[in-house]
Amino acid sequence: MLVAALAVYPAFGTGYGVRAMLQIFMWIALAGSWNIISGLTGYVSFGHVAFFGAGAYAGAILIAKAGWPWVLAAPAGGAAACALALVIGYPCLRLKGPYFAIAMLGLNEVLRALVSYFEGLTGGGSGLSLPTLHATVPIYYAMAGTAAAVTLLTFLIITSRFGLRLMTIREDELAAEAMGIDTARHKLYAFLLSAAGPGIAGALAARDQGYIEPISVFPLATTITMIVMALFGGKGTVWGPVFGAAVLFVAQELVWARFPYVHQLLFGAIIVAVVLLMPRGVLGILQVKYRLPRTI
Amino acid sequence: MNVVITPAMVGQVVISGILAGALYAMVALGLALIYGVMRVINIAHGPLLMLGAYTTFFLYSAFGLNPYLSVPVTMAALFVVGVVLQRSLVFRVVDAPELSSLLLTFGVSIGLVNLAQLAFTSDLRAVEYLTGSIPLGPFALSKTRLVAFAFAAGVTALAFLFLQRTRLGKAIRATSQSPEVAMVCGIDVRRIHMLTFGLATALAAAGGALLAVIVAIQPEMGQVWTFKSFLVIVLGGAGNYPGALLGGMLLGLVEQGASLFLTTQLSEVVAYLLLVVVLLVRPTGLLGGRQT
Repeated sequence: MLVAALAVYPAFGTGYGVRAMLQIFMWIALAGSWNIISGLTGYVSFGHVAFFGAGAYAGAILIAKAGWPWVLAAPAGGAAACALALVIGYPCLRLKGPYFAIAMLGLNEVLRALVSYFEGLTGGGSGLSLPTLHATVPIYYAMAGTAAAVTLLTFLIITSRFGLRLMTIREDELAAEAMGIDTARHKLYAFLLSAAGPGIAGALAARDQGYIEPISVFPLATTITMIVMALFGGKGTVWGPVFGAAVLFVAQELVWARFPYVHQLLFGAIIVAVVLLMPRGVLGILQVKYRLPRTI
Repeated sequence: MNVVITPAMVGQVVISGILAGALYAMVALGLALIYGVMRVINIAHGPLLMLGAYTTFFLYSAFGLNPYLSVPVTMAALFVVGVVLQRSLVFRVVDAPELSSLLLTFGVSIGLVNLAQLAFTSDLRAVEYLTGSIPLGPFALSKTRLVAFAFAAGVTALAFLFLQRTRLGKAIRATSQSPEVAMVCGIDVRRIHMLTFGLATALAAAGGALLAVIVAIQPEMGQVWTFKSFLVIVLGGAGNYPGALLGGMLLGLVEQGASLFLTTQLSEVVAYLLLVVVLLVRPTGLLGGRQT
């Protein structure tokens, strides 16, 4: 029923409303993807927005310079993000947890520097413009599809043995290795899977906005928001990021989007509060209290 | 690259690298202490440095306090901030899985940066003091960098003396080797944690204070320092305090060297690649293993 309502929403929603729902879907895809690597394996990825940006740039370049239609450019964005994940993940996932986190911290800045450097292709600091196209409604559906795909993927992973092994890595990597789990490879797979969502979402977002520049697609704020949403809703769960994304996005729009610094400050505070008070997130609390199944 | 590398240029690189290296070493020592004693990765380290810079700036603009005299004041003030942070938030994640401490300090760092943006705005501030450089043969030594080096070297030396010679310093080192045994020996580990965090914050603040006359002050200035401090620790070996010195110097030299051949934008990439390479090839750092 909810699905039906969401499906017909663009028909009678306002322009702002459709945009907002589109963003919610985007955040669901992002937070859910972050959850796949960080929630399930415990390897905190602080630079996940890199994949969003990579997908955005790949998609934008294909659309603007090679004339691809966005329907094809979006998956290509996802593929580009996965390629990036492979390049980064291969060396970095061999590292143990804290070192991986540090490496991801630096990733953002590096990517921004690289984009500025390769100006010819990317338009450098002044950004890249896409031919105008009013495609908000189809993109709404595409983004919704992406969000659904990510959530479904999470469900499939959590209910599979692959997911169980990932969670073993999270709980005790040494024991996992002792049990014969090839941790580096599992982490890499999870990482690749977690990069596809942001890549596609990035390409779609770029198409929707019509213009991208380094600062708009690689901001730390995006990573922070992804993390807050997944944490708040419940990392390691399927619906946690969905819940977190929806609730926090709405709250943000209603209350504090007007005060950008307060907004981030609040997110920082929420992260601290969640870590200290409810490390398993809202869904985690509900899981315990109402004995919900693990696969929620 | 048809740049002819003259010996003078190499010399300049080495000198600039050493001057910068001491600062890196001092700030990274703080981070190393926190990690060594508490196993906490303090992502908020950079923002704490930023707060140090702002403290010096305000002391200068409000009271005309000489920025170099304000170094001890800033250190003391931020020492208190560090202790408070530890006592209120960080202590809860000391024994928790690393994920928690990472996320917690990440949240704190966001909070600090945005508080600074709200309180101080993003306008660039600067402390004008001691400009220009001293020529020394074919080299130019920036005055502010020279003084920063002197201070950083001095503070770091004092820190090491403290760690090696005083009872508290030894208690800190004991706790980082083994908290349980330290407790058995009668060391109040929780107090040591507070002290260490405060000390580390003071070191970061000193870095910030010294930077206040060198670079523009703005709320985001600390972020890159967090990353670079980690790089230093990885280079020198986590938990290895003298390693932080070596790592700092190395980073300074590599950075200056890289800027000779590459644009400044790319020299950040070099630092990052260095990190990845070192982590893959010798994850225990150049001085190896854990040894305090």
